[in-house]
Amino acid sequence: MPSTDPSNQHSESRQPIAPGVCLPWQVVSREWPKIEGDADLVRRVWEELDSLAYTYIWQCLLSF
Amino acid sequence: MNEAVEQLYQQRLTRYVRAMRREKPDRVPIRPFVAEFTAKYAGYTIQEVTHDYHKAFAAARKCAADFDWDAVVPNMVYVWTGLVKAVGIKYYACPGIEIPPNTPFQYLEPPDDQAHMRPDEYDELIADPTGYLYNVWLPRVTTEVRAQGETTTYRNNLSFVRGSMAMLSYFQAFGDQIARLRQESGTPSALSGILKAPFDIIADKLRGYRGLCMDMFRQPQKVLAACEALTPHLLHIAASGADPQRNLPVGLWMHRGCVPFLSPDQFAKFYWPTLRQIIEGLWARGIQTLFYAEGEWNANLKYIAELPEGSIVYHIDRGDAFEVHRALGGKFCISGGVPNDLLAFGQPDDVKECVKKLIQTIGRDGGYIVDASAIMQDDTRVENVRALTEAARLYGEY
Repeated sequence: MPSTDPSNQHSESRQPIAPGVCLPWQVVSREWPKIEGDADLVRRVWEELDSLAYTYIWQCLLSF
Repeated sequence: MNEAVEQLYQQRLTRYVRAMRREKPDRVPIRPFVAEFTAKYAGYTIQEVTHDYHKAFAAARKCAADFDWDAVVPNMVYVWTGLVKAVGIKYYACPGIEIPPNTPFQYLEPPDDQAHMRPDEYDELIADPTGYLYNVWLPRVTTEVRAQGETTTYRNNLSFVRGSMAMLSYFQAFGDQIARLRQESGTPSALSGILKAPFDIIADKLRGYRGLCMDMFRQPQKVLAACEALTPHLLHIAASGADPQRNLPVGLWMHRGCVPFLSPDQFAKFYWPTLRQIIEGLWARGIQTLFYAEGEWNANLKYIAELPEGSIVYHIDRGDAFEVHRALGGKFCISGGVPNDLLAFGQPDDVKECVKKLIQTIGRDGGYIVDASAIMQDDTRVENVRALTEAARLYGEY
């Protein structure tokens, strides 16, 4: 079994990933063009949807 | 809304919550953890309630409507094997697929050398638990998901879409189920949210019990660090599923912490510190924990007694109920204690006598909830569940 591919590591900042997060906004937002308008809205929606990916894997572990 | 049914709901919820707060309600509440029993009672096969959650929900509603119970779990046949197969999870034997259709689902622990987590992978888990689960664990425990570095497949991609959509539909359906229980029979939900101990997660789903036993001797600091790494995530999941009204407890399902799986010293060193931290973290948020002590936990009661007063509801399985009451009754609500073998093989009069004794000792000052010791499966006799219910009403008035 290969270990985690560094190119896919979401912990690029080497900081521990907070609970509720899979791919931190700080990482993904660097890959996007500069956000215009309501940047906070874009961040919030990303984090809400990213938390669903978090829920998926942890519920697979806990409930199934 | 039917006002009489809503009034019944409020009466039952008040009774249930007051007991969990170790108060003395109008009478002792009944909160039976009925799992495959619901299929037997409602006329379904075990395969039907395990693989089709709509039938599981219907069976739970029928039991709630027919028995005078104060709270029920919306679906105690908790592992929906439809989702298991949608994701491709390998560690369950499903009724009608790997095992006969009227056999409850079974958990299959892999051989030691095929554990879902290898002994040299602790650092990877500790550094990033979520990444480890997605990148290493999930490919290993499913037939569909490909590991990093392997060629991706159509079936790999489908697994995530099918699995996540299945999970979404299942969890959303609980909202409707809880509303129907309230509206149709005036029955509150018994629990909200899920918790397992960090050590149990490693034992059950990662290293396996035998592998973890080796690790406790060969690399104890890694085991402790892994428990600590999982702790904030398990706290987060438990808190995010908790009752916003803070009436209902989070269900904590404990497996491998009691004698003979762990000695009390091992429990104190490996199992307890991080679990205690989670329970106290939930309590700091106003969330009670239903401490489902499956097995015989009395050797560890002195540790459990250290928890903040009222922070848990202690559920008795095989431990001596009266010893539990002496050790914990002054701090926590207690539930359970009616032996499952009595409910499966005993006579109704014996069940009534057992319930009477529990109510008149453990329950005499409030803070007690009638239930079986463990979840009730299809070996539980219907007449004995009726006897349990009748006895709780007959002897449970304060």
